[in-house]
Amino acid sequence: MSPGPARRLVPSYLATGGVSAPEHSALEELTALTGTGRSALPHHTPAHQRLLDLVSDGGLTVMEIAGYLRLPVGVVKMLAAQLVSDGHLRAAAPLPDALAPRTNAGRPSRALLEEVMHGLLAL
Amino acid sequence: MGSSPSSTPVYLPNTNQQRVKILVAGPFGIGKTTMIQTLSEIPSLHTEEVMTDAAADIDELSVTDKKTTTVAIDFGRLTISQGRIVLYLFGTPGQRRFKPLWSDYARGALGALVIVDTRRLADSFEVMDLIEESGLDYAVAVNQFPDSPAYDAETLRLKLDIEDHTPLVICDARDWDSSLNALRALAAHLVSRSGGSR
Repeated sequence: MSPGPARRLVPSYLATGGVSAPEHSALEELTALTGTGRSALPHHTPAHQRLLDLVSDGGLTVMEIAGYLRLPVGVVKMLAAQLVSDGHLRAAAPLPDALAPRTNAGRPSRALLEEVMHGLLAL
Repeated sequence: MGSSPSSTPVYLPNTNQQRVKILVAGPFGIGKTTMIQTLSEIPSLHTEEVMTDAAADIDELSVTDKKTTTVAIDFGRLTISQGRIVLYLFGTPGQRRFKPLWSDYARGALGALVIVDTRRLADSFEVMDLIEESGLDYAVAVNQFPDSPAYDAETLRLKLDIEDHTPLVICDARDWDSSLNALRALAAHLVSRSGGSR
């Protein structure tokens, strides 16, 4: 093997198999993804396979998957969106609806901020 | 090897926690990555985000062609509240030309911890402007180096031009208690800024 960190050999725009727009736009950086145990389909690329392998034993966020697979977050979102719609990944939103920011202000709720403050004090 | 994960993945214990992000912001070499490594329960990770039409002459950038640059974002994870909340700490670069990327990372963040160094205070002005423009609440953490000039808090506030309510804490990004203390100051500030919007 060659010394030093290796670059990925496939350009990121090919990793998705030519799909350039996410079908499932709800995926965020902190959406958690877990494999459903289904094996890859013929239209899945090696990048899809690597993503499935990575989360076959547990859940990780889109951001973490990008870090482990060394792919840009946008590419991971596209790959994951296809795999969610094919039934190979389960997606969990970062915040339950009750705690999600109000649509008008986009600010986190006070209840959540208080829990973060108390959680940090308890460390 | 390019095809294998960069390290052994540390899975989430489940996926029904609340996952939120806090930005750790500042110019290159200020101690963002150090603080994230200090606080993170997993080996810190990084992604390279592609940005187009950015100037291409400075650190943190590697040039891929004339119009495209990649920006490295370091991040780590800290679980609190008996596993009910996972904080993601995102190290975000401070330069204005990263603004498109910045806006993406600022969206949905609880707040930001701005790291400054008294040996080069002016280097942090740009990121403070960006944060103020984005509307995020923030606290300032002065990362103390052995040869840093020791200004009193009042002088620092004046030089940094921060509002009276903005927390200013001295910290050592290599030290867990000290870094945690900075994060706690930010969290308390975020609660006080959230008003009655329960």
